Amino acid sequence: MEAYHKPDQQALQALKDAANRLRIGSIRATTAAGSGHPTSCCSAAEIMSVLFFHTMRYKAKDPRNPSNDRFVLSKGHSAPILYAAWAEAGFLQEAELLNLRKVDSILEGHPVPKQPFTDVATGSLGQGLGAACGMAYTGKYFDKASYRVYCLLGDGELSEGSVWEAMAFAGFYKLDNLVAILDINRLGQSDPTPLQHHVEIYQKRCEAFGWHAVIVDGHSVEELCKAFGQTKNQPTAIIARTLKGKGISGVEDKENWHGKPLPKNMAEEIIQEIGDKIQSKKKLSPTLPEEDAPVVNIRNIKMPSPPNYKLGEKMATRKAYGLALAKLGHANDRVIALDGDTKNSTFSDLFRKEHPSRFIECYIAEQNMVSIAVGCATRDRTVAFASTFATFFTRAFDQIRMAAISESNINLCGSHCGVSIGEDGPSQMGLEDLCMFRAVPNSTVFYPSDAVSAEKAVEIAANTKGICFIRTSRPENEVIYSSDEEFHIGQAKVVVKNKDDQVTVIGAGVTLHEALAAAEELKKEKIYVRVIDPFTIKPLDKATILEHARATKGRIITVEDHYPEGGIGEAVSAALVGEPGITVTRLAVSHVPRSGKPAELLKMFGIDKDAIVQAVKGAVSKSRNAE
Amino acid sequence: MASGARPDQIRLQALRDVAARLRLHSVRATCAAGSGHPTSCCSAAEIVAVLFFQAMRYRADQPAYPSNDRFILSKGHAAPLLYAAWAEAGFLKEPELLNLRKIDCDLEGHPTPRLPFVDVATGSLGQGLGAACGMAYAAKYFDKAGYRVFCLLGDGEASEGSVWEALAFGSYYQLDNLVAIVDVNRLGQSEAAPLRHDTDVYRRRCEAFGWNTYVVDGHAVNELEEALWQATQVKEKPTAIVAKTYKGRGIPGVEDTDNWHGKPMPKDKLESIIGAIQSQIQTKEVLVPQLPIEDVAQISVADIHMPSLPEYAIGEKVATRKAYGMALAKLGTANERVVALDGDTKNSTFAELFRQAHPERYIECYIAEQNMVSVALGCAARDRAVVFASTFAAFLTRAFDHIRMGAISRTNLNLCGSHCGVSIGEDGPSQMALEDIAMFRAVPGCTIFYPSDAVSTEHAVCLAANTKGICFIRTSRPETPVIYSSEKFEIGQAKVVRKSGADRVTVIGAGVTLHEALAAADELAKQGIPIRVIDPFTIKPLDAATIISSARATGGRIITVEDHYREGGIGEAVAAAVSEEPGIVVQSLAVSGVPRSGKPAELLDLFGISAKSIIAAVKSTFAN
Repeated sequence: MEAYHKPDQQALQALKDAANRLRIGSIRATTAAGSGHPTSCCSAAEIMSVLFFHTMRYKAKDPRNPSNDRFVLSKGHSAPILYAAWAEAGFLQEAELLNLRKVDSILEGHPVPKQPFTDVATGSLGQGLGAACGMAYTGKYFDKASYRVYCLLGDGELSEGSVWEAMAFAGFYKLDNLVAILDINRLGQSDPTPLQHHVEIYQKRCEAFGWHAVIVDGHSVEELCKAFGQTKNQPTAIIARTLKGKGISGVEDKENWHGKPLPKNMAEEIIQEIGDKIQSKKKLSPTLPEEDAPVVNIRNIKMPSPPNYKLGEKMATRKAYGLALAKLGHANDRVIALDGDTKNSTFSDLFRKEHPSRFIECYIAEQNMVSIAVGCATRDRTVAFASTFATFFTRAFDQIRMAAISESNINLCGSHCGVSIGEDGPSQMGLEDLCMFRAVPNSTVFYPSDAVSAEKAVEIAANTKGICFIRTSRPENEVIYSSDEEFHIGQAKVVVKNKDDQVTVIGAGVTLHEALAAAEELKKEKIYVRVIDPFTIKPLDKATILEHARATKGRIITVEDHYPEGGIGEAVSAALVGEPGITVTRLAVSHVPRSGKPAELLKMFGIDKDAIVQAVKGAVSKSRNAE
Repeated sequence: MASGARPDQIRLQALRDVAARLRLHSVRATCAAGSGHPTSCCSAAEIVAVLFFQAMRYRADQPAYPSNDRFILSKGHAAPLLYAAWAEAGFLKEPELLNLRKIDCDLEGHPTPRLPFVDVATGSLGQGLGAACGMAYAAKYFDKAGYRVFCLLGDGEASEGSVWEALAFGSYYQLDNLVAIVDVNRLGQSEAAPLRHDTDVYRRRCEAFGWNTYVVDGHAVNELEEALWQATQVKEKPTAIVAKTYKGRGIPGVEDTDNWHGKPMPKDKLESIIGAIQSQIQTKEVLVPQLPIEDVAQISVADIHMPSLPEYAIGEKVATRKAYGMALAKLGTANERVVALDGDTKNSTFAELFRQAHPERYIECYIAEQNMVSVALGCAARDRAVVFASTFAAFLTRAFDHIRMGAISRTNLNLCGSHCGVSIGEDGPSQMALEDIAMFRAVPGCTIFYPSDAVSTEHAVCLAANTKGICFIRTSRPETPVIYSSEKFEIGQAKVVRKSGADRVTVIGAGVTLHEALAAADELAKQGIPIRVIDPFTIKPLDAATIISSARATGGRIITVEDHYREGGIGEAVAAAVSEEPGIVVQSLAVSGVPRSGKPAELLDLFGISAKSIIAAVKSTFAN
C-alpha cells in the first residue's frame, strides 16, 4: 500500500458531510421503524464515512466482488448506519432506508446476508472479529490477494472472550491485512462499559495480544484517515474515542438512550441541526479494488477414488474422517481444515500432513475456530472443515447459531461422542451434540457408523449447503459397507432384514454395532429384528423408517450414545408420532455418566447389546400380552 | 509451624519432597489406569505442593468446609495430581489412587463433585477461573470472610476467551483474595501452545487485564512460595503467577518433549522412572496444611418462601420478563443469600428490578455470558448463594459448554432467558431464542419453566430457588394477560386452561403461543368446535400423565404450538412422551427456517404459530 497522503481540506469536509448524512439516515430510519439504535450509529458516523469513502477499496455496485475489501460490522445493532453507508455509496435507494425492520424489507434490525453487502450476520456481540480474521487469513494465505479486512467493534462487546480469542489469532498469524476499529463510546446497554473511556487500557490489551494499536479521536475524520493510512507487519487496532449519540443535542454521551429511536418531532429538529453542518451535497465515490483475487471453483467436489476399506476391517470413524478429508484435499485445493489443538484425536492431523498450507491450527478456542471457518467460507472462497471433540462444539453454539443465520456452508466434525470414549469421563463426552445441531436451521447431521459411510459423509458435506455436522466415534468398529455402496442425505440403510422381523432397531455409530450384535444373539432365540442405520439424523429418512416399522408390527426401538433429549429417539418419535399404530421405545444415556471402560459404560447406561436384546424381548412380549 | 510463617530451608526441602511424591502418585496412578495425563501433572507438582502445604489454609479432613481456602484445578486433566495432593493431605488413602478412572471409583478421569474436595467439575478447558472469580466474589462481598481462592490453569487453555472474560472480571471487582497460577509448560495436546515459553507475553497480557503479576520458575518452591506470600500483601488487585515449567518434569527422556500429552508411562519404564523421582526425595516429613480462619457465617439457602402471594389481577397485561424481575426482587427480601447476575441486559430482562431493591447482591457481569454462568456457578458452590443469572435466552447458547459443565458440577443454578422466539419482533433472528428449550432439555437434571403469565412466572422463580440442579426460566417480551389467580404450581404439573366435555383436540402452547391457543379456542368455540388447551408450565419434566389423559379425552389428537424451532422443543418433548402410546397423534406447529425482522404479530403469522394457524390445524385434523 502506498504511503499516507493527507487528504485536502475539501476532501476532509466531504467526509464530515458524509458522516453527517449517515447520521441523518440512521436517525430517520430508526424513527420511522419505531425501534433501533440511532445513538450506537452516531458514535461511528465518522469511522464509517472514512472507511467507506476514503480507506476501503470496493465496487459499490458489486458488494460481493471477491477482490473488494471486506467490512464486518461486529456491533450489528448499528445496522442502520451500515445501510446508510451503502445508500450513500449508491447501492441502496435512500427511500429504502425508511423500510428498516419491516417484514417485507431486507433491511433487518441486524445485518443478515440477504443483503448482498453482508457476508456474516451479526447481532450476537463479539463474533465479527473472528469472522474477519477468517477472511483476512484467506486473503493473505489462500487467495494471496490484496484485499483488506475491516471490522468495526463496539466497546461493550470487548467483554466477550471471543474477541480476545480472535485478537490472539490475528496476532499469532500476523494478519497485517486486518484492521479492527474499536468504537469506544463509553456506554453499554444498561450501564457504562467497565473501562468507560480508558482508551489507554484498550491499547495496552491490544498491544499485549500482538496488535499495532493507535488511539484516535473517533470523530476526527483527519485522525481516522491518518490512522487507516498506517500499515505495519501486524494487525492494526484503531481505538476510537467516541461519544454515543454524537451529534444529537441532549442525547450525546447520555445514559438510557441505548436502543431507543428519537421521537418524531425531536428527530425533525435534530436532523435539521445536523443538516445545517453539511456544507456540500457532493457524494464521494469509493476507490476501486485491485482485481487480484483468484477465480475459484468449489462446486461438485468428487473424491479422487472410492473408499478403500475391507468389510470387517476395524476402523474408528474419527480416523476415517481424517483419512477422507486428506483425500478430499487432493480433489480441490480450496478444501481447508481447522482444529483446536485436538488434531491428533480428531485425526484432522492426517489432512495437515498432506496439505500443511491448508490447515489452520486454531488452538484451544472453539468459538473463534468456528468464526474463522465462517470467515474463510464467505464468498465461497473455501470449503472449510473444522473439528474438535463433539462436546466442545457446545462452546461455540452461539457462533454456530449465528453461522446458520449467516447462511454459512461450514462443515463441523465432532469426535469423541458419547460414553463410548470411556475413562476420560463426562466432561469429554458429546451427549447433547445431536440435539444442538438438529436445532440449527437448515443443518445436515451425519452420524456415520463405519469408515465407508464416514468417507461418504465427508464428500457429501463438502457439496452441501448450510451447516453440516459429522459425528464421529472413538472406538474402532467394523466396516460394514462395501466401497461401492451409495450414500445420500436423508437415506437410511437397512442393514439387517429378515422376513419375520418383529421389531425395527435404529442405532448409529457404536450403537448400530451393538444393535447388530443384538440381532445375532436374538437370532439364536428365533427372534428376528430389522436393523436400520439412519446415516443422517437430520434430515431423517422418515419413509424408510415408517415402512420398516409397519413391517415389524409398528414397533421401533432406538438406541443412541446421547442423552434422550433431542437425539435419535426424539427425532424418530417426532417423525412418526402422526402415524397411527407406531410405538417408539428409546434407549439413551439418561443422566450424567462417569469414567469407566467403554463397554462397562455402554452396559451401565443401557445402550449395549444386552439392553437392546432385553428391550426387543420386552416389546415383543408386551404386544403379545396386549394381543 | 505458626500460621503464615515463611518457610526455612528444611521446610522448602520438605515441599520439594512433597512435589516429588505427587509426581510418583500421578505417574503410578495413570500407569495403573492405562490412560491419563502424567506429564501435565508433573509440570505442576511444585505448584500444587506449595499451594496445598504452604499457601492454602484448610481442614484436610473436611474439604468442603465453608471457611477453607478454595482450590480449582482448571486444567482438569491434571486430576491425578489433585488426587495425589488430597492423599498427601490425608483425606484420601494412597492405595485408592491406583483405582483412578475405574468405573467403581470416584477418582474419575477429570475432577467431578462426586469427590468432596471438588466444587466444580473441570475438564472442559478455560472454565475454572470464572468459577474461581465467583467464589472470590462471594467471599469478599457476600461472606466478607478471609478464605482465599486459588485457581491453577494450563497454558493451552489460556487461548480460551472465557479465561480473559474472567481476568477482566477479577480485576474489575478488585478480587484481591484470588490467585491464578498459570502452568506454562509450553506444550499443548497436539503441538506447542501458541506462546510457548514466552512468559513475558503472558505477563503483559495479565497486567493489561489489571492483574498483579509475577513470573516465576514453576519448579522452584521458594519462588512459588515468595510469589504466593506477596499476593497476600496486595490489596484491590487479584494476583496472577506465571509459572515457567516443563511438561513431564522429572521423567527422564519425557520432560519437555512432544507427543507425550495424555499418555501414561509404559509399564516397563515405570520402575526406572519411579527410581529417578524417588532419588530426589530427601525427607520423610509429612507436612500438615494450615488451618483456616473461622470467619464464615452460617447461612441457610433452603426452603425459601415468597413473602407474599402474587399480586396481579386477572387480565392485567404484564410481560413474563417483567414478572421475573419483580418476582426476583421480592424473593430477595425473603432470603439475603439470593443474588442476581446479568450481562448488561438488565433493563431488558428486568433483573434491574432486583438490583434496585438489593444493589449489594447484584453482580453486573457485562457482555460475557460464559463468564456470567461460571461466576454464578462459583457463587453457588458450597451453598453460599442462591443464584439467578439472566440475559437474552439466545445468548445463553454462548454458555452452553459452561451450562453443560454446570450439570456435571451438580450446581444449583437458576438461569433466566428473556426475549424468546420470533415474538420479540423487529430486532431479528440474532436476538431470537429458538433453540434454548432444546439446549436446556439436553442438560441432565435440568428443570425448564416456561411460564405463560405473571403469576406462574412468580411461582417459577420461587420454585427454582428451591430446586436442585439447573433451572431455566424462559420469559417473553410481549405483554400478555394474567390468566391465573391464587393457584398452586408444581414442577411437572401442567394446567388445563380450557376444558369441556366435548373437546375435540388438545392444544398445548406456552408463553405467547398459549395466548394464541386461547384466542383460537375462543374463535373455534364460536364455530362450535371446543378444544382443550394445556399450559405445560414446565417443559422438563413434562406432565405426560395430564397430556396423555387429555389426548385420550380428545380423540387422541394433540397439536403443539411453540415459539421455538421444531427440533428439541415442546413438540418433540410431547412426541417423545407419547411415543409408547399407540393411538395418539401429535401435530407440531413451530418455527421452521431462520426468521427475520418484522412486527411480532406479523411474524407469528408468517411462521405459522398464531391463532390463525392453530385454527387451521385444528380444522385440518378433522378433515383427515
